[in-house]
Amino acid sequence: MTRALPLLLSAAAAAAAAAACTGEITGDPFVGPAPNPYEELERLQREGPPRYSSRVHGCTKLRYRTLGNVLRSRGVALAATGDVSAGRIYRDGAAALGAPNYGGRVRETVELGLATTSKIFDIFVQAAPELIAAMGARPECGGAALFDAAGRCNPDGVSCLLGVPATPTHLQICEQTVARAADVESGKQLAVAVLAAAAHTCE
Amino acid sequence: MTPRWPVLGPVLVLVAALPACTEPVPEAPPLDEWDQRLAERVVDYSAALRGAALKLTGELPTLAELKQVANAADDAARKAAYEGLLQQYVTGPRFARQMFRFWQDTLKMGDTPALDSAPAFLAKLTVEDRSYLEALTATSGTCPGFDPQTGAFTAGNCTNTPQTVGLLTHPGMQAHFFSNLAFRRVRWVQETFACGAFPAEVALTATDVGGVSPYTGTFPFTSIAGAATGGRVDFRDTKSVICANCHSNINHIAPLFAYYTDQGQSSQTMAVPVPLPGEPRAQEADYLPPGEGLAWRLGVPVTDMASLGAAMAADPDIASCAIARLWNFALGKPDVVDGPAQVPAATIAEHVAAFQAGGHRLRAALLDIFTSDDFIRF
Repeated sequence: MTRALPLLLSAAAAAAAAAACTGEITGDPFVGPAPNPYEELERLQREGPPRYSSRVHGCTKLRYRTLGNVLRSRGVALAATGDVSAGRIYRDGAAALGAPNYGGRVRETVELGLATTSKIFDIFVQAAPELIAAMGARPECGGAALFDAAGRCNPDGVSCLLGVPATPTHLQICEQTVARAADVESGKQLAVAVLAAAAHTCE
Repeated sequence: MTPRWPVLGPVLVLVAALPACTEPVPEAPPLDEWDQRLAERVVDYSAALRGAALKLTGELPTLAELKQVANAADDAARKAAYEGLLQQYVTGPRFARQMFRFWQDTLKMGDTPALDSAPAFLAKLTVEDRSYLEALTATSGTCPGFDPQTGAFTAGNCTNTPQTVGLLTHPGMQAHFFSNLAFRRVRWVQETFACGAFPAEVALTATDVGGVSPYTGTFPFTSIAGAATGGRVDFRDTKSVICANCHSNINHIAPLFAYYTDQGQSSQTMAVPVPLPGEPRAQEADYLPPGEGLAWRLGVPVTDMASLGAAMAADPDIASCAIARLWNFALGKPDVVDGPAQVPAATIAEHVAAFQAGGHRLRAALLDIFTSDDFIRF
């Protein structure tokens, strides 16, 4: 021990001196503009450190083509030509929905922005009547319509719309939205739009 | 070397003796709020099924599939139902379509026949559960066709070059990423296969080369071309050493990509311009001094595209990059090179090891990730 200590101290002193004169680099010196440290801190506080955030699901938006598949598979006509039809808004809204531009070497934007979220809601509002009318006949939904003959929300239909089993909360929101609307049909459309847009905000 | 051993000897003895000391070994740091949050996640196979279906098939699960998982008798049955559906997903035609879209996005290539064959090749590797490393080494079949409606591939060879090397020689890639000195192609290679921006390597010790900032490349500063060696672009300009930090790697690779025209055809002479008046064609001397060899990384020399592909395939960073990208895809994060969504090595270590041990098979890696504890917990 008495012999090792001076050796260790010498080694430590030499290492410290070496570091001082050569400027040891421990990080990446240039990866584009330096991040704003306050923004970075805020992000870390919100999302957690990478050892955490990398292990939990994120909330990227539904990809453009996937959104089209979801709409089509639940009965929405993507080729519809009406000015305010869901299909038309979908087709014309590619840019707002973050679709890729491979010709310009640009990937699809998967991070959610206000414009994208608003556009998705617009689409589901306009798609609601089609969804209500068509879902019951879709093979993907096994004959489950969104509402029963009495106008009550059908758990199977809501599950098929959401892609997960409908919870009591989903059904409560559905029922309350219908009940609070000015008329039943408007209420059904609003309920479907709200549930679908909320469920399909994140992929 | 010899004088060091008497010094190290006592140190090693001291280190070996440490565990025998009577002082208590410090305990691991206490769990923090983030560990707590991870521990609080619960298994939800229904939510996992929705995410897996959207990502692997591009569609929502059907009502029948939802019920198959949700109505299973217990956790074991739910797990079995979920994993059975995943198997169906990755063997169906919609999986091929979805992988084609995934690779279009990853490669930033698509929507024209010339560009689509590169993502089609990677989708084919994925669907057929072949080695991802073929993307860097395949000598044929790298220009297949793909029909998104049917999920069917059509075999096809690229005809732009006498020597096909995975996607490194792909005509669509060479055309799409054509630029001055072929640097855009090299950046694409780095970001696509190594998941990082340049500089690709950073020295542990900076070197003062007389500039306002130190040089941090791993190659010697004098290993790249500059005005002093006849290069028409001065990569050794000490007024902007920061350029050399990246070009130390770039310039050891780029000459290989300079022999392709703006149409992606291989050429006997360099076919990319230098950003100077008249846009002259690039020359070897623009990149490296006479006698300096090409290299994938410091200490990994290459001589041609085939040896570059082989060197990259042997680099463990390539496998880690592939898994990090698949991980972010599965967990709903932006592409690993696009955003701040980092994937620490520890998060994916077991998946990388399985990928390497299993022959770098992409479909198997996806199943591994989509059935992982982190994917099924919310």
